Amino acid sequence: MNGQKPLELILARNLLSSISTPAFLVGEQGTLLFFNEAAAAMLGKRFEETGKLSAQEWTSEFGPFGPDEEPIPYDEIPATLAVRDSRPFHGNFRICAAGGEHQDVAASAIPIVGPEGSSGAIVIFWPVIDDSDRRQPGDAVMSAGGERGEAT
Amino acid sequence: MKLKVWGARGSIPAPGPETMRYGGNTSCVELTLDDGSTLILDAGTGIRNLGLALPRVERPIHILLTHLHLDHIQGLMFFAPAFRPESEIIIWGPASPEASLRDRIARYISAPLAPVEVRELPSHVSFRETEPHEWDIGPARIRAQAVNHRGPTLGYRIETGDTSVCYIPDHEPGLGAPLAQLDDDWISGFELARDSSMLIHDCQYTDEEYQEHLGWGHSPVSDALCFAQRVQTEKLLLFHHDPLHSDDFLDSFCGRVSTRWAELGGRDAQVELATERREIVISEPTREPAHTA
Repeated sequence: MNGQKPLELILARNLLSSISTPAFLVGEQGTLLFFNEAAAAMLGKRFEETGKLSAQEWTSEFGPFGPDEEPIPYDEIPATLAVRDSRPFHGNFRICAAGGEHQDVAASAIPIVGPEGSSGAIVIFWPVIDDSDRRQPGDAVMSAGGERGEAT
Repeated sequence: MKLKVWGARGSIPAPGPETMRYGGNTSCVELTLDDGSTLILDAGTGIRNLGLALPRVERPIHILLTHLHLDHIQGLMFFAPAFRPESEIIIWGPASPEASLRDRIARYISAPLAPVEVRELPSHVSFRETEPHEWDIGPARIRAQAVNHRGPTLGYRIETGDTSVCYIPDHEPGLGAPLAQLDDDWISGFELARDSSMLIHDCQYTDEEYQEHLGWGHSPVSDALCFAQRVQTEKLLLFHHDPLHSDDFLDSFCGRVSTRWAELGGRDAQVELATERREIVISEPTREPAHTA
């Protein structure tokens, strides 16, 4: 339909525009379709400046970065793998924040599945909180299908 | 293509002396195609009078439901052709993961809300969830698209030749984002309504009333006009009048609409408030969009 976004993506973008938690809206093939003002503050760039970005563009600019400080290819990000499998994901990532410094954040990725199948995902970012003293042995952060990620 | 409004009221029927001119019946619009066949857009209480006026014909009657809120289906139980054994009625509507269209409508046409069950209707009634892509009904090409309202809701575009009607009676495209600042592809219903010969669109609230009804699924006048301007429709019919809006109020509202429309660069003759029994012949496009700014 000539590029018209599915309603669920339109509504997701409207939701993200209205919340104060940093968030991305990622579409098919990993295109970064939108990020909100809170994410702009976190990244030091406004969506109006960048416009939509391909997966390769945004991962090389914002991360996530691996232990070697190199961007993790989009297809290898654990959240990507989970969302492609229609599962949510929560874990820690290292990103390039405002000012160019690498910084750890926690991220939750939630797949968006409409009447015609998957249309993307919402990724919400949270500060990393050290709750190691509250965690019980065996606790782990998960993707819902049981794949264990790094505990936050 | 000819259009007749049988109900333009939103939410609940609003009969009474103060709504005589614009009408108190809920959503129903009749489209008569060039080959004489009939499409009915929504089955609010307006469909009762339409049913009484429809001649007995052998061809199927197609009813296109935008959604299943009561003000869009309440008239089904009182649609005279549904009680004639020779009638064939095809009801189109939105799919839902929860239940079939037939089962969802049967919740209304069944005890204790109704004295008959769907299976007891003497006519040949069938239910079809709309296609994800375009389909044909007689000479018309139909397109349905999910739009922003509460629950699964469709807008429709009906095209014959170069003429098109877009019907989005319940729509809140500006929810959570200012319409004027969004790119076209991020506006709910945009592709459906783009360059239509006529757009029939929700305009339930004044801008002031909207502040108390954010998220209820309906448009304030500013958003309805902005949407129409963005999609470059030829003619705009404002629809789904709030049940609290009397004829006198709507007359006064119409003046404000005209002023606002003119500010957006539109021409007076191309926007009007829907009135029950109003008939409009939809002609070939003039190629000059309503918005000239």
